[in-house]
Amino acid sequence: MSSLRILVSFKVTPDYEALREADWLAGAAVGTAEGAAQGVETRYVRRILNCFDESALEIALRLSEARAERGAATGLGALSVGGRETEPYLKTLLALGYDRAARGEAEAALDFAPAVVAALIAEYVRQVDHSDLLLLGCRGGPGDSGTVPFMVAEALGWPCLTQVIEVEPLPDDRVRVACMADDGLLRATLRLPCVLAVGNAVVSQLRVPTLTDRLARRDRRIDIVSGADLGVDIAGELRREPCVLVGLEAIDRARRGVIIGGETPREKARVLFDSHLKSVIEKL
Amino acid sequence: MPLSREAVVEGLQRIVGPEDVITDEHILVQSSVDNFRKLQNIFDVHTMPVPAAIVMARSTAKVAEILRFADENGVNVIPRTGATATEGGLESAVADSVIIDGSPMNQIVSIDAYNMQATCQCGAPLQALEDRVREQGLTTGHSPQSKPVAHMGGLVATRSIGQFSTLYGGIEDMVVGLEAVFPGGQVTRIKNVPRRAAGPDIRHVVIGNEGALCFITEVTVKLFPYFPENNTFLGWTLKDMKTGFEALRAVMVSGFKPSVARVYDPGDAGIHFSHFAAEDDCVLLFMAEGPAGIARATAEGIATVVAGFPECKPVEAAYIETWFNDLCWDASKIVAEDERIRQTRNVNRTTEISADWGSINDIYQAAKARIIAEIPDITMMGGHSSHSYINGANMYFNYFFNVVDVGPEQETDKYYLPIIGIICEETLKRGGSIVHHHGIGKARTPWVKDEYGSSYYILETLKHAFDPNGIMNVGTIIPK
Repeated sequence: MSSLRILVSFKVTPDYEALREADWLAGAAVGTAEGAAQGVETRYVRRILNCFDESALEIALRLSEARAERGAATGLGALSVGGRETEPYLKTLLALGYDRAARGEAEAALDFAPAVVAALIAEYVRQVDHSDLLLLGCRGGPGDSGTVPFMVAEALGWPCLTQVIEVEPLPDDRVRVACMADDGLLRATLRLPCVLAVGNAVVSQLRVPTLTDRLARRDRRIDIVSGADLGVDIAGELRREPCVLVGLEAIDRARRGVIIGGETPREKARVLFDSHLKSVIEKL
Repeated sequence: MPLSREAVVEGLQRIVGPEDVITDEHILVQSSVDNFRKLQNIFDVHTMPVPAAIVMARSTAKVAEILRFADENGVNVIPRTGATATEGGLESAVADSVIIDGSPMNQIVSIDAYNMQATCQCGAPLQALEDRVREQGLTTGHSPQSKPVAHMGGLVATRSIGQFSTLYGGIEDMVVGLEAVFPGGQVTRIKNVPRRAAGPDIRHVVIGNEGALCFITEVTVKLFPYFPENNTFLGWTLKDMKTGFEALRAVMVSGFKPSVARVYDPGDAGIHFSHFAAEDDCVLLFMAEGPAGIARATAEGIATVVAGFPECKPVEAAYIETWFNDLCWDASKIVAEDERIRQTRNVNRTTEISADWGSINDIYQAAKARIIAEIPDITMMGGHSSHSYINGANMYFNYFFNVVDVGPEQETDKYYLPIIGIICEETLKRGGSIVHHHGIGKARTPWVKDEYGSSYYILETLKHAFDPNGIMNVGTIIPK
């Protein structure tokens, strides 16, 4: 096997779980001069790694290790489009053995601008990284349309598989991929280059570097690339395709509940079965 | 001649009926450990003796009968309610132990808003009690991170403390009376009075006994007026923990009573506050609460005191408030954490100690340096101080390590216990206490004699007096 260059593009997002309903509603209620809602204030909650991207980052590490066992070299790169909040994550990835780390600098919030994000990623791949395989999460939080992987693939002219849950190396620089499809599991063997959009993968957690790993690789540099560096006119693109938040509505998650009576667990189980489960089972 | 496992189960079934004696092997194996050896449950690799049964206790009278049976037959019993212990207090140290589970005794007996006290059974979840008293504009003032899952009996038995302790105190300041059952079935009730000077305060024989002396069946705790609308948060970033401890001390000795007073070191702050703090920042934070005038004056007073430390740079209060609102861990967070450990073998552990103001920073610095130097595979070594007093504070060491080259069941021997050992040694060397609020359990018994010094005589005598046959939670507090 020859050397393979893998790039993982990831997003650092606010921890939306830490927002209260009141925070969401406040964001929906405050109108701006243009009549749009203000948007939810997320700067007070901590940042986390987008869960699908976290899977992609760990899958890439495992892919690299599996190739190393076969004597094949792999170059691992990580790219995140965002502000300085992404840098601790990039440092962590360098400590874990990623040999390239880059931050795509964006002068404006790109939460609702998939075309701009995709253009930055694609141009980085084409002009700077020259990767063979691009992994990224299939979507990145409530503000994400899930279209970035497709747009990147289109811009690069590469094939794209989505809802990827497993990636294995093959001896000849191809990869075997498992994807969730509507009617089951799809297994495919792919020639590179390609884009893989990772979904609910079995691997969902990124490993953690030791303090020793961090110390050993603390001098590794994070490259900063701007839209101008890549020839992407971010401000112009945003003007061409403005995205306005019209409003937010709370999802009614209330569910009816019944408290089952009975003296013993056996009695309660009987009531549960007779009055709730039996009819459901009979319909199956 | 000890009873056989089967005879123990039969004896219990005669007392409470077969429905309330759990003998399912899987449940018993899982109940052989608590969070101290949580990797054994996460990876399903077990090494501890399997209990003979779990008996569900539904009344004080039944607890008394069970304890009489256990005492007469030399059966080790392990009292538990919410089962959230972290220091091995719920481990079965000897074969064929019986776990007495008080979680069915979950009634809130009374909420007395006039006398400002609430009585509940041992299995009442703290969250349920807090929710009920809040309906009346009151609070227990007790808010450990385990609030969504812990029960009142266990909270009293482990001498727990909550996030608002600097104002309301620990559980020992809240319990006014209780009921407990001692070996042999002796039921004792300590009445609810504001204070008394009728000899030693016998509540303290029970509070913090960790199931090694008795089984707590009912507790009465104080209630306080609740003014959430007046809660005021304050926060600063700063560059070193020594200044942080100095600022905490300055606030405390100036006579202010924040409900929360904390300082986080850069490692721990990196987990919680990286969205506003730099990589090498510590974070100092406070919360003031109470009636409007008091909350306002407290917040203003704290701000004035901290202004005397120019190194401290203020941050927007909303950062602290938003973070604080999401601090408690519930069942879903526990499940997510278990999955994280299963996949990464990266384990988060904590150890909390206390010491006077003159020693606390030295203990923090010394223990941290030794752990980084001596323990392999550390991925984060940090901590915070979360409870302040007029004469000192606690230090809550928070650390992560990768479990490498050993099975998950060996995690405690290779990493956790050696780290606890370093923290205990550095604490004892400087006159501090090896346990601030988790209890001794079984994990910290190797250091308990040094912790107590000559007063160990009192502890040992209590154990012999109340549990002469040694059936109460063998190996907990007192080494096996």
